[in-house]
Amino acid sequence: MMNALDRRAFCFVMGLIGLGAASTDAWTQDATIRLGIVAPMSGPNSRYGSFSLRGAQLAAEEINNAGGVGGRKIAITSGDSQGTPVEGVSATRRLIDLDKVDFIIGDVSSSVTLAMQPVAEDAGVLLLNAASSNPKITYGAGAGGFKWTFRNYPTDENRALVVIQYAAEKRGFTKFAILTVDTDYGRAAIEFTKKYLPQFKGEILTEDYYKEGEVDFRSVLAKIRDSGAQAIIMYGLADTTPIIARQMIEVGLAGKIPLIGNAEFNTESTIKAAPKALEGAVEAAAWLPAWDAPKSLAFVEKFKAKYRETPNNHAYVHWETVHLLAKAVEAAGSADRAKVRDALSKIKYDSAMGEVTFDDHNQARLPMILLQIENGKPAIKGAYSAEIKYPAK
Amino acid sequence: MLSAVFEQIVNGIVSGSVYAIVAVGMTMIFGVLRAINFAHGEYYMLGTFGAWFAIEYFDLPYPVAIVIGVIATAVIAVVVGRFVMQRIVGAPPETGVLATLGIALVLQNTVILVFGGGYKFFNGGYIEPVSIFGFTLAEQRVLIIIVCILVFVGLELMVTYSRMGKAMRAVSQNIECCAVVGIDVPQVALRTFILGACLAALSGVLTAPVNVSVYGGMGEIITFKTLPVIIMGGLGNVRGTFFAAMILGIAESLVATYVGLQFRDTVGFATLMLVLMWRPHGLFSAQARF
Repeated sequence: MMNALDRRAFCFVMGLIGLGAASTDAWTQDATIRLGIVAPMSGPNSRYGSFSLRGAQLAAEEINNAGGVGGRKIAITSGDSQGTPVEGVSATRRLIDLDKVDFIIGDVSSSVTLAMQPVAEDAGVLLLNAASSNPKITYGAGAGGFKWTFRNYPTDENRALVVIQYAAEKRGFTKFAILTVDTDYGRAAIEFTKKYLPQFKGEILTEDYYKEGEVDFRSVLAKIRDSGAQAIIMYGLADTTPIIARQMIEVGLAGKIPLIGNAEFNTESTIKAAPKALEGAVEAAAWLPAWDAPKSLAFVEKFKAKYRETPNNHAYVHWETVHLLAKAVEAAGSADRAKVRDALSKIKYDSAMGEVTFDDHNQARLPMILLQIENGKPAIKGAYSAEIKYPAK
Repeated sequence: MLSAVFEQIVNGIVSGSVYAIVAVGMTMIFGVLRAINFAHGEYYMLGTFGAWFAIEYFDLPYPVAIVIGVIATAVIAVVVGRFVMQRIVGAPPETGVLATLGIALVLQNTVILVFGGGYKFFNGGYIEPVSIFGFTLAEQRVLIIIVCILVFVGLELMVTYSRMGKAMRAVSQNIECCAVVGIDVPQVALRTFILGACLAALSGVLTAPVNVSVYGGMGEIITFKTLPVIIMGGLGNVRGTFFAAMILGIAESLVATYVGLQFRDTVGFATLMLVLMWRPHGLFSAQARF
């Protein structure tokens, strides 16, 4: 209940800020950089949207307080995608046609971003994505087609590659079992794992996909145990991980074969459910509040001071992406869309995760943080980068 | 190789035991009320939530939580039974479908409203593995198999010898004649319904420690896994349900091992289709009863 009230109060304040921004806009047309943020502000993913917008606003506030970009202030307008492609497209249209934004950052959901791409392309408005992980978005951008789409976020392909690389090079695994959720996300992650597996001389011994809501994994875990696999590649659902981990203890897999991939292996409650099974588990994340870089820690402090909440991944990436955009505007020497776009493709930006540059598909080269569960606690094993191999045309 | 197959068969018997305890309640309710209880999985969920609540809020030990889970479900079943299920007796079949589907929605969403929609962590039970015949199994699963056997022996005895069991069989054969000879049909219906709901709850509480997650929507999947079992077993047939559940459990386990986990859920519905094509009255009933 408290949450709902907070959100209502938050929306109200946002509305006031929006009004304020709009009214100043009228007077200082040429002196502002108009930035639209498309994010799920309502619906089941509204938590992500709220983090995203607050991250972006914090960055805009920092930039404006420091005198803006070359004297120009950043004005943010929020668009609600509700996490669905249809609403995402109409929010994008509204931002372009009514609010006359020059730049858009959005959305969190990959399916929404994919739908926004052609809209931004037709209007010639820069779409800078900060939080969608589907590889398709930048397969179809830059050299792949959409000239106005950029992405400052690692993809599922990055994740699959980084995980398999770490497993092969640091842990010496070559024999893998696959136990992954039967969705687009899980299937795609495995597809990319298979793409890169040969270069690490890895082989897949068993391959199974589980349905959402599946609770009985004994049979498949026993098969994996008898197969001789050294690790289980799992791109799964956070809620299923404790079930699998417990049954791993039961069939005698715990402590012998680690889980690698992404399915919230590092949350406290998951580890508590089956500490023995999760020991040694490897997971890749785009960012973590605990990431030990001065810029990142300073951001966490600022965000906490302003919103009294620890920022999540979406808050960070939107905060960083607004700063990245400001840097590109500064490098371009004007807010002209085409000039900013060209500046962005050549940019060298110092993010909290390392230097950001874009490849010919407008995809940022970004590292992912690798975590390994050690003594029941996630330990950061460093950041790993991976260059994507685009299919030849 | 052989021991691997044997282990998978035992795995199948464990999941079959869970299906059996849930399904037998559903099949008995069908026998008496002539209605598929689409809310059956919800009683499984309620039992689990009752036990989770007892453990999480009152720090009670697991055996006590089992009792509380079952009793809480029984109380809800009394209310639902009085106000809804008793009225289904003798009503046209679509009444039962609509009423039970409606109850499923109400129960599920009430739980989500009260406890939130997130997954809860079930902290109890005997999850330490024990070694039997060269492979390991959680103690809890051994408990499930033992309870399943006890439940079925108990039900067989009750249906054959007790007054209530005889009345149940009578009602499932002919409602009008029962009324004529003085059997209180609504009372029998209510009792059968409460018994069925309690069995579902018992199964839920017993599986919670190995399934770990507790959430409002967990009953749905149970309802749909139970349907093929009761149709295979022959609607209303207690003994048939037991064997059908075991067959389904073992078949699923073998398919998950030797074909792929993603094909497991196909087994139930594929067998359901085959049974409906060749033996629509079930594998274990000599002739159609309904």
